[in-house]
Amino acid sequence: MSRLNFWSAVAIFTWLLLAIFLLLPVGTVLLSSFHDPNGQFTLANYAAFLSEPRFHRALLNTLVVGFGGLAGALLLGAIMAFCISRFVIFGSKFVSLLAILALVSPPFIGAYSWIVLFGAGGLVRTGLRDVGIMIPPIYGLIGILIVFALKFYPYVYLMVSGALANVNRSLEEAAEGLGLTPWQRTFKISFPMVFPALSAGGLLAFIHAIADFGTPRLLGRGYNVLATEAFTLYSAEVGSNMSMATTISVVLIIVSMLFVFLQRYMSRRNVYHGNMINKPIKIKLKGWRNVAAHTVVYLIGLLGALPVIISIIYSFRLTNGPVFQSGFGLQSYTRILFNLGDVVRNSLTFSVMAVILIVLVGTIVGVYVARRTTLNTSLLDAAFMIPFVMPGIVIGIAYIAVFNTGPVILTGTATIIILSVFIRRLPYAVRTTASALRQISPSMEEAAISLGYSPFQAFLRITVPLIVPGIIAGGMLSFVTAINELSSSLVLYVGSTVTMPVRIYLLILDGDFGTAAAMASILLLVSGLAVYIAFRFLGRNEQALL
Amino acid sequence: MTYLTVGNATKQFGVNFKALDGVSVSVDKGEFFTLLGPSGCGKTTLLRAIAGFNDLTSGDIKLGDYDLRKIPPHQRDIGMVFQDYAVFPHLSVFDNVAFGLKPRKVPEAERKARVDEALATVRLSALADRMPSAMSGGQQQRIGIARAMVIKPRLLLMDEPLSNLDAKLRIELREEIRDIQKQIDIAAIYVTHDQEEALAISDRICVMSGGHVEQIGTPQDIYGDPQTRFVANFVGTLNTLKSGADLENLTRNLGLSDVKAETWAVRPERLGLSNPAAREGATIKGTVSKYVYLGREAHLQVSTGIGELVVHIANPGRNAGRAVGEPVSVLITRDALMGFDTNGKRLSTGG
Repeated sequence: MSRLNFWSAVAIFTWLLLAIFLLLPVGTVLLSSFHDPNGQFTLANYAAFLSEPRFHRALLNTLVVGFGGLAGALLLGAIMAFCISRFVIFGSKFVSLLAILALVSPPFIGAYSWIVLFGAGGLVRTGLRDVGIMIPPIYGLIGILIVFALKFYPYVYLMVSGALANVNRSLEEAAEGLGLTPWQRTFKISFPMVFPALSAGGLLAFIHAIADFGTPRLLGRGYNVLATEAFTLYSAEVGSNMSMATTISVVLIIVSMLFVFLQRYMSRRNVYHGNMINKPIKIKLKGWRNVAAHTVVYLIGLLGALPVIISIIYSFRLTNGPVFQSGFGLQSYTRILFNLGDVVRNSLTFSVMAVILIVLVGTIVGVYVARRTTLNTSLLDAAFMIPFVMPGIVIGIAYIAVFNTGPVILTGTATIIILSVFIRRLPYAVRTTASALRQISPSMEEAAISLGYSPFQAFLRITVPLIVPGIIAGGMLSFVTAINELSSSLVLYVGSTVTMPVRIYLLILDGDFGTAAAMASILLLVSGLAVYIAFRFLGRNEQALL
Repeated sequence: MTYLTVGNATKQFGVNFKALDGVSVSVDKGEFFTLLGPSGCGKTTLLRAIAGFNDLTSGDIKLGDYDLRKIPPHQRDIGMVFQDYAVFPHLSVFDNVAFGLKPRKVPEAERKARVDEALATVRLSALADRMPSAMSGGQQQRIGIARAMVIKPRLLLMDEPLSNLDAKLRIELREEIRDIQKQIDIAAIYVTHDQEEALAISDRICVMSGGHVEQIGTPQDIYGDPQTRFVANFVGTLNTLKSGADLENLTRNLGLSDVKAETWAVRPERLGLSNPAAREGATIKGTVSKYVYLGREAHLQVSTGIGELVVHIANPGRNAGRAVGEPVSVLITRDALMGFDTNGKRLSTGG
């Protein structure tokens, strides 16, 4: 009976949590989009959205960068996954590491690094101009798409390489025996097998692309998308238009959701559970094919990690104020040490707090969801899908909408930033725990019970030790997301709660790239450390990063 | 001496599915008792009710003087061996086996001695310090057996412990299980769907189907004297005879016209090809439709007026091969025929 009460309490607590920190903000956004500034019900916001060319363009642009980013990520990710899982690539672990670097690199730092190289006064561009080759600066749609493709290809790569490694070779051999050409084999056998992974990776790329705020902001130069429009409308000093910002947020959520459903629908039939009797082998290519495969793989890997490499190099360059001098030094780091220590501290405390909350709540709710299959847990599972399609900027705006007035005022506090990170990452922690638990056979606990341990003790002594490594690893990966979070913090920060990504963003806007690069490098070091710890606990499992 | 009694056990799932429907069994001290049946017959449900992992809807379970249903599962003192081994992957082999001794507050020195003894019994002494994850299924299940018996439980339950192992190991380990059980002299309940395993290992077998008991008896009773058509069919193989004039002739010739059986059946090994020396029984003429040579025996399929009959011939000579289409006579003796009524109950054929 006490067990039942405990789980009822967990259920109530979880729903309260979701109600206050997720459903209420999202509901408020939705309601706010239907009201004018005076609180009267109106459809004017949607009418404005439908009639103003500015918003049409933003929606169209969002779809263009979404599908463009998706296409680019699919192309690069699929090529890389295919080459690495099917051919012997020298240093393939290193290439995977490059992909992870691209994945955990601070957002929009990529955009800026590309400006450094290919912007109006970019290094590569001016260098090429000196030898007589003119290329246009990277601003605008092209730049955004290049950055997105290189930033998001790891999602596709990690998903697809996992799937490709699991396609039973006998299937392809059987197809070969039936007389299919290599091309036919690839499209009729291998492609359908990896399609779920391909579409899932593509979905992640799409959702991140349309939610991305920093890249279009820095590289777009007038190429506005919904995320930047929402931020502009919200943050305008004069004439801040909250209800229009929420209207755009709703549109953004709808686009995300449509795509999630589309992906689910498209891959609904393609679930294969191969037996792994006959694992695929890697072919050793010869001659030009070998050179080509290596070139492609290393090109993608290095280009994807380029922003990271640029940041690290630039962080060590001598500067005079914001201007780079020739030679190297540690000035940028000393500046952070003496002037911006509180920012680093903010980031670390907020992220640690958020991760502690995520791990505690995520584990308990994960156990609840995995161990009790009821209508309630199915509903919870569905509710936990919501943060998945919520762009950070929307969560930020939603939190401002709810916690700016009313009984609980949280704006300007560290709490609101921690909570926004917490709620966005909680679903992942719940999923991790639940799936770890589902992999443990129930007979394990039953064995302990039959040996004389009470059910609670059996859970504590058998199940907990078995899921703890997964939980720690999950916590570390949540930490990486938390500390790199920009878009919601950008809406929620005040002077005393500036975090590292926000500061980097502001520094770049101020043109102080030396300090920005140094801070990005610190961020990267911390993220890398967390990933390393996670891999120590989990084994090297790149897919856990998704 | 009756040790464990299950009385009228019923387990209801949902509104109209009864996993157990009034099952009563009793197990003696030191007896090896097997629950045999196809999947979904209720054997595992019964075992888990005895272990306490799911309670009965009604009925009672008594172990010695205790009413087991009133005792929570972790206080029942029942050892259990699982189909998927359920070996704790984060503990060494030694710690796995010692796991159940901790809540029993066994002193350190004795604990070590008992674990060592148990590991020696299952022949795993050399692997005591290893982690179980890299071990074979057979070794993992040995850990499971040692872990269950080291606590000296009042009852040992085994839920299809060998079904995930390959055929050869299955035979080897089932004999070890049997030896260990006799050696520590404990009442054991063993669940399986493998009739050969059940026959080989058990003192008594309880054949179950559809949530009820079909027959309880020694392996000889179950195989040689099945009380229902289900048991006859499930344990061993069966030729069910086609009704008609030929069958009536046959039963008349054997003096069985008085037995009003719905169906008649006969085991393949109780049939033979007639030879001039046969003095009793009746013969049925037919033609060979299939001949399978298996070395130790040969299986012959004969088309007759009472249906396709499978005949097992032991020690077929090198020249005993039969061509398809060859006419033969099948010999059926009176005591080989089994008659069943409309409910599938075996009818007496009067000795």
